[in-house]
Amino acid sequence: MSRWRYFFRRLLLSIPVVLFGLTITFVIVRMGPIDPVAAIIGPEGGAANRARIEQRLGLNEPLWRQYIDFIVGMLTLNLGQSWVIQPSTSVGELLTTYAPRTLWLGFWSVLIAIFVGVPLGFYAGLNPNTGGDYLASFGGIVWRAMPNFWLAIIFLAVLRQSEKFFFGIDWNTIGVNVPGLIGQPPLNFIAVTDWVSLGALSIPIGFYFSPITLAASIKQILPPAVVLGSAAMGNEMRIGRTAVLETINSNYVETAKAKGLRNRAIVWKHVFRNALVPLVPIITNEAFILIGGSVIVEVIFGINGIGYLFYQASIQGDLPLVGSLMFVFIILIVSVNIIQDFLYTILDPRVGYE
Amino acid sequence: MAMESNPTADAQSTATSTLDTTATAASNATTIAGGRNDPIITVRNLQTSFFTDKEVIRAVDGVDFDIRPGETVGVVGESGSGKSVTARSIMGLVDSPGHILEGSSIRFQHVPTLRSFATTFAGRTVSLDELEAEHDPTSLFDHPEIDATPSTFGYDDREEATLEDFVGAYGDTLEFIGADDCVFVRGGSTDDPESITDGFVELTRCTGEIQRKMRGGRIAMVFQDPLTSLNPVYTVGNQLEETLRLHQDLSGQAATEEAIELLEAVGIPDARRRVTEYPHQFSGGMRQRAVIAMALACDPEVLICDEPTTALDVTIQAQILDLLKELQHERDLGILFITHDMGVIAEVTDRVNVMYAGEIVETAGVHSLFDDPKHPYTQGLLESIPGRQQGERLQTIEGNVPTPNEPATYCRFAPRCPKAFGDCEAVHPETVPVGDGHPEDEQAAHTAACLLYVDEYTAAAHPSGRTPDQGTGEVKATGGSADAATETETETPRGDDR
Repeated sequence: MSRWRYFFRRLLLSIPVVLFGLTITFVIVRMGPIDPVAAIIGPEGGAANRARIEQRLGLNEPLWRQYIDFIVGMLTLNLGQSWVIQPSTSVGELLTTYAPRTLWLGFWSVLIAIFVGVPLGFYAGLNPNTGGDYLASFGGIVWRAMPNFWLAIIFLAVLRQSEKFFFGIDWNTIGVNVPGLIGQPPLNFIAVTDWVSLGALSIPIGFYFSPITLAASIKQILPPAVVLGSAAMGNEMRIGRTAVLETINSNYVETAKAKGLRNRAIVWKHVFRNALVPLVPIITNEAFILIGGSVIVEVIFGINGIGYLFYQASIQGDLPLVGSLMFVFIILIVSVNIIQDFLYTILDPRVGYE
Repeated sequence: MAMESNPTADAQSTATSTLDTTATAASNATTIAGGRNDPIITVRNLQTSFFTDKEVIRAVDGVDFDIRPGETVGVVGESGSGKSVTARSIMGLVDSPGHILEGSSIRFQHVPTLRSFATTFAGRTVSLDELEAEHDPTSLFDHPEIDATPSTFGYDDREEATLEDFVGAYGDTLEFIGADDCVFVRGGSTDDPESITDGFVELTRCTGEIQRKMRGGRIAMVFQDPLTSLNPVYTVGNQLEETLRLHQDLSGQAATEEAIELLEAVGIPDARRRVTEYPHQFSGGMRQRAVIAMALACDPEVLICDEPTTALDVTIQAQILDLLKELQHERDLGILFITHDMGVIAEVTDRVNVMYAGEIVETAGVHSLFDDPKHPYTQGLLESIPGRQQGERLQTIEGNVPTPNEPATYCRFAPRCPKAFGDCEAVHPETVPVGDGHPEDEQAAHTAACLLYVDEYTAAAHPSGRTPDQGTGEVKATGGSADAATETETETPRGDDR
């Protein structure tokens, strides 16, 4: 089928995109004003010291050789070692420590945005110009208008004194206990305890799972996730409303009505699928913002995620870490793009023709 | 066709019934319905208004017409004349802020449907025979909340009124009609559906399940724009099967086979492959064929075509019109054909209603209409067809259709009418017979709503006694003189009692 061919062509096209992204990253990181040697030896280091460190880091080699080493290293997933933040720790190791926190935060903020924003938008679109619609639309605009950094601080302030605002309900102790508002969510609620080897393949057979830790983890991540997803939620609500309104007034919905279809069937079969088409790029675009926007939220809520790590690495001149994180971000964004195309090919049969 | 066998009787009976087209429906009440000439859809005094903050727009304002099986009824008029709203009212597709007003009645008269509905919707079925034993239709005129007069139904005398006239139009007011009742039967009852001989489904009162059964199942609609009438994200087959599943209980392989047959029936080649394709893989004409196939999927009795060929080029248009004709012949469909294209009207219809600003201004057989248009608006429309004009320049009707936002107390066409005279601004013209039909027209009634054909006003406007356009003169010439004269006389007081 032709639309699958279209999808595979998109998949192939992402390879030059990754290469181009890596090149730009290299140019900015290596040719920019960042001086990692100064960051390592400090203000008192002498010229000899400096040359020695440059030699050790390979910074004295010709630029084209450094470029090839960088690209080959990235593409073979040899991400190198941190120079400044945690010297001699491999970037892979840092990623396995920091990334899950960000992913956990991103996952929940995307989920909240989709499962609150889209249904609210669809509800408003199906009941246009009613009280419910006005409430949802107004809420969406207000929610959209509140900036992350402000909302995060207000959340902290209100939840910290929750017994004052919510009739004596203490946020820290309601449901499961969490140590405090600020800090890492505990991610050790699931672990593999036992492996079995089938030839070269290792298959996990033993699991450890703690529902209480999971609940605590969700509770811990919820306030930052709501803050991070707030803008996305408002956007999705508004676009969802418009998309449903546009679809419900289209001729094929009229045709479906004239066929004698039930309202529920019209909405679920004919309206929703078409209304999702304009929502797909909105949702996937927001996934990008969640990567970038998480830095502020991570700092305010004291979550040491990759947003925080990337920020530290770039101001301290930890070149391999910055380059590797950029590589991870590029891969993430390209994958999200591919997922978007994949969703398009599923939702809309016309993709690939226009 | 009993009427056709005796042309003289035909002419006379037409002459006597032209004034009152409802008489046909009324007399049917005593005989078994379902004959060739009994209308399957009867629209009476249909009023559909849109209530906006600023004004009430009377998009359809008191429209009457019938559709018979195997017959194509045309509705023609400019944009904004209420054609589409009429069609949507029949389908029950008028969306808020539009409402069909009380007093409007759209009756679907089809005995097999009544028998099936009497069983399925026993709770919403009412026996007219039983009601008649308890209620006298004549006395209903005195009901405090019913503003109908005999002339509302087209009668001269209140004795002529039947229960049918009231139960549909004023069902909400009449306390003996349940809020959900919309199936009215005669001859049988819900316990004995097989003996039902007559009755109707009142479409203006249909809601919920019964409305869905009517839509698509009994009355189907083909919309104007085939390019957007199909859902782009589902295959044509999927959309056809959806309809089949809904009304014919077909599913799976059987539905697919039926869908393929339907596509073949509307002339789509290679239907077996086409059924798995998406609408964007079809050309415009093919899409309209697919839409027609979808409309026909449930074997409806009536097909409403709302400008089905406007978006298509001329060769495809001709093909689609031929297809519709063929399908009508095969399935004995009653077709309501809406268009603003006089050429299409001449091609496909048997009878034509000319609409202007929410009202029907002229009704005639298609031959009468083109050979001898009576209403100045119809004349204007025909003169504006290229090739029919006299002289170098193409004639046009100056101005635009007004928005009908107040009750008509004058002729709405008067401001644009080249033949308007003083009374046109002061009197709302009633529909009057304006001559016998063309011999080739089956339904011979020719009526127009124009003061030019009411002697009282023309005499005042033209003291010399000259009747413009030889309208009434022709009636006399063709033989219905006595009838026509008396009708015209009895007609005039009706204008007053409004």
